[in-house]
Amino acid sequence: MSKMRKLCFYALLIFYSVLTIVPFVWSLSTSFKPSEEVYQNDLIPDAPTMKAYATVFGKIQPNFQTLFANSLFIACVVVILHLIFAALAGYAFARLRFPGRDVLFFVVLGCMMIPDQLRLVPMYQLLVKMGLINSGPSNYLAIFLIKAISAADVFLMRQYFLTLPKEMEDAAKIDGAGPFKLFSRVMLPNAAPVLATVAILTFQGTWNDLFWPSIVLQSPSHWTLPFGILQFKGQFSTDWPPIMALVVLSTIPILALYTFGQRYIINVQLASSAKG
Amino acid sequence: MQLTRPKTLRLSRKQSESLVAYGFLTVPMALFLFLSVGIFFYAIYISTFNWGIMGPTESVGLDNYRKAFSDPIFLKAIRNSVKYAAIVVPIQTAIGLYLALLVNSKIKGSKFFRSAFYFPSIASSAAITTLFIFLMAPDGVFNKVLQFFGIETSDLFNQGAWLSDSRTALYSIIGLNAWTTSGTMMLFYLANLQTVDAQFAEAAMVDGASRRQVFWYITMPLLKPAHLFVVATGMIGALQLYDQAILAGGADGSPDYSLMTVVLYIYNACFRKFEFGYASAIGVILFVIIFTLTLLQKSLFGSAAWKGEDR
Repeated sequence: MSKMRKLCFYALLIFYSVLTIVPFVWSLSTSFKPSEEVYQNDLIPDAPTMKAYATVFGKIQPNFQTLFANSLFIACVVVILHLIFAALAGYAFARLRFPGRDVLFFVVLGCMMIPDQLRLVPMYQLLVKMGLINSGPSNYLAIFLIKAISAADVFLMRQYFLTLPKEMEDAAKIDGAGPFKLFSRVMLPNAAPVLATVAILTFQGTWNDLFWPSIVLQSPSHWTLPFGILQFKGQFSTDWPPIMALVVLSTIPILALYTFGQRYIINVQLASSAKG
Repeated sequence: MQLTRPKTLRLSRKQSESLVAYGFLTVPMALFLFLSVGIFFYAIYISTFNWGIMGPTESVGLDNYRKAFSDPIFLKAIRNSVKYAAIVVPIQTAIGLYLALLVNSKIKGSKFFRSAFYFPSIASSAAITTLFIFLMAPDGVFNKVLQFFGIETSDLFNQGAWLSDSRTALYSIIGLNAWTTSGTMMLFYLANLQTVDAQFAEAAMVDGASRRQVFWYITMPLLKPAHLFVVATGMIGALQLYDQAILAGGADGSPDYSLMTVVLYIYNACFRKFEFGYASAIGVILFVIIFTLTLLQKSLFGSAAWKGEDR
């Protein structure tokens, strides 16, 4: 590569990095500004203040702690459900032989084609009939039911199980292990990367979701962080620092998760594409 | 005795394998049949009724579908969604591919750049759209940057109120999502790029091919699985635009319905007018559009599905 070319290269890379990172730095800076300073151009506030954080931790209803706890609770339950069902179904489709396998797998593939927006009306009707659209704790069940299983995760899990070598099972089979033992003792421990990927992607998707919570969750004490941001954006239309504090606080956990787990995500994408 | 034992064992293994498979699949398949397949047919059923808060009142056949196509706001919503998808998909695909090629070349700090480029894709749409609204405000940073480069926003035709002018609102959202989704598209391209054998390109270079020729005749065709995947997911995602529209324009897709999308329209029919039958019909229409586009893309790009290969 010539020197000139290299220079252009780095200029481009740095320019685009600035474009992706600076807005977040700006939201962080704004969250520490007093209201009068919001539209000043300084990155470092003249008179930095924690007032915005005091507001989101104390004054707003529901406060940040409630929104955070709801988001965390809902995301964790959905992650566990997805892991269990995707591992069970993915293993069965990839590694077991049984009558009707292809038909059932075709159904799973078909489920991937159904958009959430088509499910909105019938799902809502169903949840009303089941009495889950309410302001009590059973309201959470509505979200869990909607998000109980993901065809894409079953698919991902199956693809991964397909790549594991046959010899892995053979040794255990000779030792007399049955299919269930094979699954729990041999296959599952070897599926750690894909389990991590499903967990991370599901957590991120559920944590960030606005569509279903905004439709299903009735009581403010059930709101999630994105839903809270939507609501408070309307209430504080001109008072930006508390809103930016919420933006910052809601992004930090997902940033931490991504920093910690991105290795796994890339690996599995490679694994599923390398097979072709 | 010794000889027959393995035989019976193999038979029982086959049976127990089926049994375990059905055991594993009972709950997942029941959920799929109930929450996706059943719900799908229920949606079509509801769409043939006048269905209010109190439930169905009368069967109306296909009237809900006819009503949709004679409602100017719905037609506006379709136009907006299609326009949005038609512009944002090529942009985010091109940027995603370009970023992937940049990051994939042997450079210092490629790991850092990859993380930086993916950064906007990880935050929630609620957080990022709110941040975007703040940056794009008339007194916001975006206009300040324009001023820095000598562009006086008060001279511009909308005085720098990008999101509250019906002529620029949708384009602003296009800019926002091109920025946030490019990182995801980059990852898909990267995964594909890393499986592409560098030998092909090197061999072509030895034969005297130019950089440009290598890119168009070797790299691009080898990235076909990623093209299909990126364009298909991009298109499906774009037609489902909702979060950014309701955050920036409220439930009406303000100003002047310029941010009214098909999904936002469903939301309105459902939760503001309580016309569940009608809302369901719009959902079915959206499904048909997405389904047709997916099939079209599959046949256009060939059947080399990114994810479809069996062993």
